[in-house]
Amino acid sequence: MLRLTGGKIVDPTQTPAERAGDLWIDGERIVAPPADGGKGAEVRDISGKLVLAGAIDIHSHIAGGKVNLGRLLSSADHRSTVEAAEEGLRGGSGLATPSTFTTGYRYAAMGYTAAFEPAMVAANARATHIEMADVPILDKGAYVMLGNDEFLLQRLAAGASQSEINDYVAWTIQATAAHAVKVVNAGGISAFKFNGRSLGIDEPGPQHGVTPRRIIQALSRAVHELGVPHPLHVHCNNLGIPGNVETTLATIEAAEGLPIHLTHVQFHSYGTEGKRKFSSAAARIAEVVNANPNVSVDVGQIVFGPTMTESGDTQAQFRNRTHASPKKWLSMDIECDAGCGLVPFRYRDKNFVNALQWAIGLELFLLIRDPWRVFLTTDHPNGGPFASYPQLVRLLMERSYREECLAQINASARKLSVVGGIAREYTLAEIAAMTRAAPARSLGLRDRGHLTPGARADLVIYEPGSDIETMFRTPVQVLKGGVEVARGGRIRSVPAGATQLVRPGYDKQIERSLKRFFDDHMTVRFGNFPLAEGEIAEAGGRIEQHACVAAGGRA
Amino acid sequence: MSGGQADARAAVSGAVTCPFCGLACDDLAVAAGKVETRGCARATAGFARASAARRAHAVGGKPADLATAAAAAAAILRKAKAPLFHGLTAELNGVRALLALAERVGGTVDHQGSAALLANIGVARASGWAVATFAEVANRADFVLLVGADPAKNFPRFHERLIGNPKPLYRSTAPSVAYLGAEPLAPPEAMAPLQGIVGETALLPTVAALSGLLHGRQPRDVGLPIEALAAMAQGLQEARYGVIAWDLGRLPPRVAELVTEYLAGMLRHLNAKTRCVGLPLGGSGNAIGANQTALWQAGWPLRLSFADGTPRHDPWQHDGGRMLAAGEADALVWCAALAADRPPRTEAPVIALVADDVELPAPAAVEIRIGIPALDHGGEIVRADTVIAVPLHAARPSDRPGLAEAARAILAGLETG
Repeated sequence: MLRLTGGKIVDPTQTPAERAGDLWIDGERIVAPPADGGKGAEVRDISGKLVLAGAIDIHSHIAGGKVNLGRLLSSADHRSTVEAAEEGLRGGSGLATPSTFTTGYRYAAMGYTAAFEPAMVAANARATHIEMADVPILDKGAYVMLGNDEFLLQRLAAGASQSEINDYVAWTIQATAAHAVKVVNAGGISAFKFNGRSLGIDEPGPQHGVTPRRIIQALSRAVHELGVPHPLHVHCNNLGIPGNVETTLATIEAAEGLPIHLTHVQFHSYGTEGKRKFSSAAARIAEVVNANPNVSVDVGQIVFGPTMTESGDTQAQFRNRTHASPKKWLSMDIECDAGCGLVPFRYRDKNFVNALQWAIGLELFLLIRDPWRVFLTTDHPNGGPFASYPQLVRLLMERSYREECLAQINASARKLSVVGGIAREYTLAEIAAMTRAAPARSLGLRDRGHLTPGARADLVIYEPGSDIETMFRTPVQVLKGGVEVARGGRIRSVPAGATQLVRPGYDKQIERSLKRFFDDHMTVRFGNFPLAEGEIAEAGGRIEQHACVAAGGRA
Repeated sequence: MSGGQADARAAVSGAVTCPFCGLACDDLAVAAGKVETRGCARATAGFARASAARRAHAVGGKPADLATAAAAAAAILRKAKAPLFHGLTAELNGVRALLALAERVGGTVDHQGSAALLANIGVARASGWAVATFAEVANRADFVLLVGADPAKNFPRFHERLIGNPKPLYRSTAPSVAYLGAEPLAPPEAMAPLQGIVGETALLPTVAALSGLLHGRQPRDVGLPIEALAAMAQGLQEARYGVIAWDLGRLPPRVAELVTEYLAGMLRHLNAKTRCVGLPLGGSGNAIGANQTALWQAGWPLRLSFADGTPRHDPWQHDGGRMLAAGEADALVWCAALAADRPPRTEAPVIALVADDVELPAPAAVEIRIGIPALDHGGEIVRADTVIAVPLHAARPSDRPGLAEAARAILAGLETG
């Protein structure tokens, strides 16, 4: 048993959220103070330090086919950031598109103990999970993409019942060992394969006549009725287009009050005001999010500098190819199921559009009041690398630093943004909510994200006093399941993390129509599509299954 | 309740995977331990490898157990300053384990099929393209241009599975097929391709001329009737979902890369108005999977070296064949599981991690006889279209170690020795 004594515990699930006190750890769990006073326990004095739960990244592209293509297209990134193999540690490379071992080590050294790959192509699930087995330390999981797969679009066009959709969604989650469901540009990726270059929320798709609104309705209801803990994770249609705020608001409507998570909402909060016809609509989005407790968002903050954008949204990425830096792009249509598009980007602080994107992200963080419903992401690496999180935390916690940075950006963008007038500074407890407790709750990880007895001993010890960015970049110590994994930015041990997943039930009847679809049209046999029970274990992984809870229930 | 099976490797007849080319067909039948290969000679030959006599692991030609052989391999690698890991025709988990070993000893890693692969990824990295996977081609393509070798040569069931599939989702008739290559195409009789036969040296200027036509430039004489070339250009422009598939493995790599760059440029150009996707063919011996594993583990594609402690990529410097010819490698770890290739000639000590049917010209310093994926054990390989890892099933399960087990045994030998 281990007793951490003298530190300040920051846990927004408790009242008060910040308090001085001891933490008791037995094995891999936090436990109540033992009745015998803890005789024989190892005592570690952490006086003057802060303790938070391990951080959880709810949306980070860490593995899968398009992530690997991102690495392939990012030679400069892999030449400039290299990590040598050391005793017990594997080497690697890349900042924006890091290799797998580097990803795990870098996250862990920053106090992250879990990260979720948000865009797994169902047909790529087997490869994605084998790749994730090479992401050390972190617990990880994947959201499987639906909503552009020809089977679903055909069934919706044919007027399938909600229960049939539910069965199909549950089958897909199980077959791909997924933790949640994401929809990317509902119907738009399929439309692109029929040469459709955009798809409005109420526009019937070119082949099936199904609208994005209908797809979002059906999928958000399926996820809800199946009791999948994380709501439908939505990448809205019309990413990056001025005026797309209307699509984003219509998407919230399409959920009809059911839980819905809008991802990288910064890229979907654009208006058309001003002489450049590009403006911030963050205030409108924030107002609607504030008023609708069924809605959560992650921001997808941009960070100035070079990065790689990798997305399932072939339609948007093809449009964005004209902004590529360097000038190249790659697009792939995948298995009548999905797609992926890659475009290298460089966000510049003196560029009007980029500067305004940066400000829009901060406006969203600061105008959305409930830290339980707005999560810290850069949509890694699409807005910037996850290694920039400590700087983002500082931007949120320290107004003076924010003003300093604001002074550097394109002047026209600065004048159009309300960021400069916002006094709000996030508290530590709010940061702990948005990076720990809230993602854990949203993902149904009941024993993570907090520090109450029964929680996994995933925790981070910080030294306050140094500036906020340094404090968050280099925690004093990081424990994962009670084991020290990092100290002062150095990796100390490399336990394997677990693959997080859910297994909603379904009526086996759906497998008959799926088998027919596979037999007639697909190039993999139906029986070979699902991951088999032992495959993740055989790749060296470990599975941790989470409960699907009654509709509307909360962990 | 679970969508999976209790035994990850149980073969279901009618859904058995063949790992012997990049198509990775997974619809083979199995009865009484015999695999019915749907008329594919390459698959038949591959599964017939099961009949090879078993050979012992060996050290210096003398039979040894796995631990002894692994320890001997570890001793060689411990002394080596520039070990080369080559061949690499293995399933994903085998490649993963071998990369761990290579990194541990500062080795260089190459795949025997990397030359063709690098011509493709060189273009993808430099300029990009629009591509698609098999199911998109099989269900949508209304015009298909084949460039280079007849795909049926290296991918025997290409025409049957991707062009002539009976129930496509989104096309009412079979696609029009055009062909630019050195030898007449031999598709099924029902197909009447527009053939443009050009010798290997003429392929580059011909493809350049076709690209020119798409951009509205009249080409000079390229040894092919202009009408044929114009028909190909028109086919691509008018297709709703055009496909350009290429297999340029027989061209010198530099020429292959130039041809591929033209094709990629055509794809980028055509997609401004209509849809047209590429299908680079290759990837036998799980070259695609090996390359992807290198990318995710090290951040770099193949022809990868850990010699200076950090991963480095250089398609010339870390070319395994070149290194052996130049005498740069002082130990060769030769892996042959999916293919039965012998190790290349070298003065350096050879650690052969090879299947039973690989006959070594002379006793290797160390021989570890590993299983053949899809025969002795299961695993996963990545199809030529790069997205789909297909599961392999053990048609004739045996206790032969897989490459992963062999690599881990050597790694253990390094830790303890």
